[in-house]
Amino acid sequence: MSIAAKKRLEGYGFIAPGFLYVLLVLGYPLVYNIILSFKNVDVKTFASGTSKFVGFANYIELFHDPTFLLVLKNTFVFTIACLAIQFTLGFLLALLFSQKFTFAGPIRGLVLVAYMMPMSVTAMLGKNMFGVTEGVINDLLMKIGLINAPVEWLVSSSTAMIAVIAVNCWVGIPFNMLLLTSGLTGISQDVYESASLDGANKFQRFFYITLPLMKSSILAVLMLGFIYTFKAFDLMFIMTSGGPLNSTDVLGTYAYTLSFTKYEFSQGSAAALVLFCCLFVIGLFYLRLTTKEDD
Amino acid sequence: MDGKIETSLKTKGGRSNFGKCVIAVLVAIIFLFPLYWLLSMSFKTDGESFGKLVTYYPHSFTLEPWIKNFSDKDFLLSLKNSILIAILSMTISIGFGVPTAYGMGRYKVPGSKSFLLTFLVTQMLPASLMLTPMYLIFNKVGLLGTYLGPALAISSGSIPFIVITLRPYFKGIPVSLDDAARIDGCGVIRSFLSIMIPAIKTGVITVIVISFLNGWNDLAYSMTFNVKPEMRPLTANIFKFQSKYGTKWNCIMAYGAILVIPVVLLFVFLQKYIVGGLTAGAVKE
Repeated sequence: MSIAAKKRLEGYGFIAPGFLYVLLVLGYPLVYNIILSFKNVDVKTFASGTSKFVGFANYIELFHDPTFLLVLKNTFVFTIACLAIQFTLGFLLALLFSQKFTFAGPIRGLVLVAYMMPMSVTAMLGKNMFGVTEGVINDLLMKIGLINAPVEWLVSSSTAMIAVIAVNCWVGIPFNMLLLTSGLTGISQDVYESASLDGANKFQRFFYITLPLMKSSILAVLMLGFIYTFKAFDLMFIMTSGGPLNSTDVLGTYAYTLSFTKYEFSQGSAAALVLFCCLFVIGLFYLRLTTKEDD
Repeated sequence: MDGKIETSLKTKGGRSNFGKCVIAVLVAIIFLFPLYWLLSMSFKTDGESFGKLVTYYPHSFTLEPWIKNFSDKDFLLSLKNSILIAILSMTISIGFGVPTAYGMGRYKVPGSKSFLLTFLVTQMLPASLMLTPMYLIFNKVGLLGTYLGPALAISSGSIPFIVITLRPYFKGIPVSLDDAARIDGCGVIRSFLSIMIPAIKTGVITVIVISFLNGWNDLAYSMTFNVKPEMRPLTANIFKFQSKYGTKWNCIMAYGAILVIPVVLLFVFLQKYIVGGLTAGAVKE
């Protein structure tokens, strides 16, 4: 065997474990899920093995179901609201924390703990803090005088989404800040110095230097943010169980309910595939961005 | 002239340093308040945590909620499950992920671009998409109600992360290190284990911590694949304890605090590894 061929074999040997794992444990279920969504598998047909292909029936049923359409809308409202808030505040904080001052490092790190915490605990904490009488949010808002009576955050279907978005932003802002800070610190100080010597003011420097140089960081953060937020599950599952009246139900939780509360496995897999298709479109842009600069 | 500019910049820097510190501390207070709230609630008495009056610190400090959790058999069992699932999924993830990252970082093989693409795509797959098919497959092969079921599923998310994070680290090791290992008579596997892995210690610590936390934080997989509460980790038993404790928020918060403590400890001690790893995995520099 030639040395090159031996080298190649070694390479494949190292790559094989992880790649085969992913093919088997993710690839196979993914294909299985696609097939499932075109069949009529529920708890009865699965046990008896009498399921059959039904074409697009599951998808047609989903898109005629007003609850599913509400869930689809909720998912987009949740994602877009979170992205807008997380990105704007995350960027402002990144601008602050990318500068050198006494507490910059430690505080930037501390704030990130929110991102590492189990989402189920965060959701439970949110449930308590947004409580009607025992909740600290109502108490604080009444102390400042912004509201006169306690708001029924999680009890009312018109406010539950706001509470869920707020909790998610508590996690998302630090994450956006982290990624944007690393983009900002990558910009050479010389560029700013020569710009200020040329008489550029703070705003000009931001719009003509920072933003253009940050373009790929910003795009990556927005797309990653979309992918992470759009697939939310733990937060709603623990904090609101999708309620009240499906007002915080999103694709992730709805697919779960279909499969594991109603045992309509095929319907659940069809709903999950709708979720995946939305992710995939954004994901393709993200892939183009990350692989373009490689090699 | 040069000196003048420098001093004027310095005094300006001094003044704005104070201003920035104040803003940063305010930001920290806002973001850490929920964590403070979690802890403060966990030291309140039943009456105070349920009371109509919201108190901002425990007026009568008690360890009762913590003791109640730690003397509960169901709690200790869930804690054991959390630790087992986290360690098992971490071991699987590292065992499969690190060699792959090494192969992709240091060998030029045909098809490596599509391998990388596969890992990038799989990183996007949401748990809710995998739950139904995995549940039905695990049901067939007898993996429901085991620790291995959720651990396998969690690792399928950690492995792509490990590959994407560590690949650039391995790529950055100078070729001279390979040659030195060869001359010393190291075999391929020995040079990988005892030279290459220690050379990128920082990256390896990052992926160990993150893949442990992926297991520790998991809710969806453990909850779905382990129907019996005795097999479930702390995260998946939150509902059970919520109905057990009723409105005793102090006990629920102590429960949550126990779940958060390992995360905070790991984070405080290994902050620079985690922060570096997260940024490397997400954004190309």
